[in-house]
Amino acid sequence: MATFRLHSGKVLAVDLTGDAVTARNGSMVAYDGRMTFKRLTGGGEGLRGVVTRRLTGEQMTVMEVRGEGTCWFADRASEINLVRLTGDTLYVEADSLLAADAGLRTGTTFTGLRGASQGNGLFTTTVRGHGQAAILSDGPAVVLRVAPHAPLVVDPGAYVAHQGSLRQSFQSGATFRTLIGEGGGEAVQIRFEGDGLVYVQPSERTTVAGDV
Amino acid sequence: MAFREINAKMIEATVVPGRRLFSRRGAMLAYRGEVSFTPNLTSGPGGVMSVLGRRIAGEAAPLMTVEGSGTVYFGHGGHHVHVVRLTGDTLYVEADRLLAFEDTLEQGTVFLGAQGGVRGLVRGQATGQGLFTTTLTGHGTVAVMAHGGVFEVPVRPQRPVHVDPQAYVAHHGDVRNRLSTAVGWRELVGRGSGEAFQLELSGTGVVLVQASEEKL
Repeated sequence: MATFRLHSGKVLAVDLTGDAVTARNGSMVAYDGRMTFKRLTGGGEGLRGVVTRRLTGEQMTVMEVRGEGTCWFADRASEINLVRLTGDTLYVEADSLLAADAGLRTGTTFTGLRGASQGNGLFTTTVRGHGQAAILSDGPAVVLRVAPHAPLVVDPGAYVAHQGSLRQSFQSGATFRTLIGEGGGEAVQIRFEGDGLVYVQPSERTTVAGDV
Repeated sequence: MAFREINAKMIEATVVPGRRLFSRRGAMLAYRGEVSFTPNLTSGPGGVMSVLGRRIAGEAAPLMTVEGSGTVYFGHGGHHVHVVRLTGDTLYVEADRLLAFEDTLEQGTVFLGAQGGVRGLVRGQATGQGLFTTTLTGHGTVAVMAHGGVFEVPVRPQRPVHVDPQAYVAHHGDVRNRLSTAVGWRELVGRGSGEAFQLELSGTGVVLVQASEEKL
């Protein structure tokens, strides 16, 4: 199985021994040994992926990297975070997924209003199975644990990904002050409950609710 | 060691009398002591011919000479800075990536066509290096700029390293490079993996790669 290592937080090194990883198209910066690069259609999900990803707007161009040696990946000097999956599911935006073990299965899922509030659309990408994945964030992400009786509330703009069995709900911080334009800028929040991990970046994307 | 990395984007240089430093013009952030900065009209050491060569080659990054005694802090444009120590070998780098170097190093310009003829020229165009590149030879330290962090990949015999041309920063040592293509039918129908062109480095040395595919 491919081993993922972080090199200075912004470079992902993957050691391959004849096996494969899927990675965002064009994200290889260097490799030694012998590697082949092949673009996968529909985010690696074949024809079904082509159709669903086209429809949901979760477009993802990925390639399969196969070979022996070490391959280094990076994307516009973004911070990279490693995620280990042991049978659970990672929910991440297609834009934030850098690489995943070829043994992991990717798909798309409906997120509803939460997705819309992040400015990411109504669908998100899921990664499930056993193996490692690498996700991108603007600045080093913190991993926050959600336990039963210890829910977590996150700003939609700073949310990157989550894994585990979590329920999400919308929470409004809006008061009459928000209505008269004197809001605290935190009118919309996502509340996570259950058992799992949430990845939060130290930067906020511009979202619909970010200004109120 | 003349240069010390203070953080990822700033270096501290110690200037002692009798030893000069060359740095990119305007890259001084702060200094302590008695230090003078004089613009190099000739953009680096070397005679009139090398000046002329660099002008024509477009490898004439404006440099300044730093002299005196004290400490100087350098940084430029928020780019990441990486310090390379040379021990008699040659560093190949683009002139606009040079932040500062010691005067013990000899600066030169090489025509990429001289390394592999037409293939060298093609390689220069593909990597955005143009037709010429800057060399620094000797014993001393160099500070190189890059977008995102820099990491070093050793190149060993029988173990060539392939680098994305856009992420390539510099290399030193006894390294031969050539542009290798992996253009298949997929690229022709617009379904490429985005890795059609690669810079293949073989020999013995080190290649510096940045964590980004953006130019400076």
